[in-house]
Amino acid sequence: MIDDIQTVWIRYNLTERTIEHLQIFTIALLLAIAIGVATGLFLYRRRRYSPPVFSTLNAVQTFPDIALLILLIPLAGIGTVPTIIACVLYSILPIARNTYTGLISVSPELLEVGRAMGLVEGDILMKIRFPLAFPMIAGGIRIAIVFTMGIVTLGGIFGAGGLGAPLQTGINLIRPDIIFVAGIWVGLLAVILDGIAGGIEAELKRRFGSW
Amino acid sequence: MVSLELLGTPILQHIILAYTALIASIALGIPLAILALYSRSLQRVVMVMANLMQAIPTFAVVAFVVPLIGIGFWPAIIAILLRALLPIIKNTWVGLSSLDPALIASAEGIGLSQWEIIRYVRLPNAYPAIFAGVKFAAILANSVAILTAIIGSGGLGTLIFEGLAGVNMIKMMSGALPAIGIALFLDTSFGWLERRMVPPGMK
Repeated sequence: MIDDIQTVWIRYNLTERTIEHLQIFTIALLLAIAIGVATGLFLYRRRRYSPPVFSTLNAVQTFPDIALLILLIPLAGIGTVPTIIACVLYSILPIARNTYTGLISVSPELLEVGRAMGLVEGDILMKIRFPLAFPMIAGGIRIAIVFTMGIVTLGGIFGAGGLGAPLQTGINLIRPDIIFVAGIWVGLLAVILDGIAGGIEAELKRRFGSW
Repeated sequence: MVSLELLGTPILQHIILAYTALIASIALGIPLAILALYSRSLQRVVMVMANLMQAIPTFAVVAFVVPLIGIGFWPAIIAILLRALLPIIKNTWVGLSSLDPALIASAEGIGLSQWEIIRYVRLPNAYPAIFAGVKFAAILANSVAILTAIIGSGGLGTLIFEGLAGVNMIKMMSGALPAIGIALFLDTSFGWLERRMVPPGMK
């Protein structure tokens, strides 16, 4: 059993595939966080743009992931780049929406206290609104982690490498051993990453959410 | 070029695939969530499973189905079901259980039976949550039904994968665009249905 796993692991370069997978995942997630938080902040400052932007992002979210990857072919071809773009397009919504909601749903008393202490709007944003929004933002990032993990795996079909590639090989050759080793490994990775994100979210909630 | 007749069959297959799985998930998921209300151990198992399963990449779930069940239409249904079931169970349970206890107490007070409480108090109050779950599941089913073409389910995904293999952009688009159209249609029609189904008192 252990031998079989080892054979498949080495034969299909699962160490390299895992590194590849996590690299794409990390780049996509960092980009999604940067763009998502920036979008949330922008919409908080320019609230009248929020209905059209959110309904557009909502519509993108309903697109089947494979269909979105197909739409990206004329623009970005196949491989790593379109996979990252697709991850980001799906992940902006949960992060931006949670950032926006977190920033606007701070209780008026706290803002009043901030103003009474002489904080200017910028300080109120950075020292009151943002910290109180941390748990919400972390919740959005956690959703994005699940999306990103799913789409990076799918990227294997579109030549992005990662752990989706051996899965596709396993399906094409109908080889249960490859499917089980690669599938359980990628499933385990996803559950672990989600668990870590859940832990961070709970910790942020404990520290900033008890107000 | 892909003619309109050639497109009809994949679209029909796709819709049958996604909807069979969706209806099966609703038929399984809502009763399971109601049962979970009355059994703490079932509740724990269901919620832990739902949370874990949701994190696992869809492609891995679809792949697992091959050695465990096989390839073709029914294995694809199982794969879609495994994805679509969880949001339905989770949302139904959250909707049913996060009800004001005073409402239940007053329902008991006027002598409603357990069944009547579920039918007339808990379920109507849970409609918005259940609807959100079903809508999410429908969109998920539409998306997974494309991927299952890789395990021989037929449908729009077949056009996409054949197009990919033959580097035929028109064929790929003729699979992708109807799927996006169906997704947008699902989103709007569920939004409309939701507004009609929610009892007026809850708006």
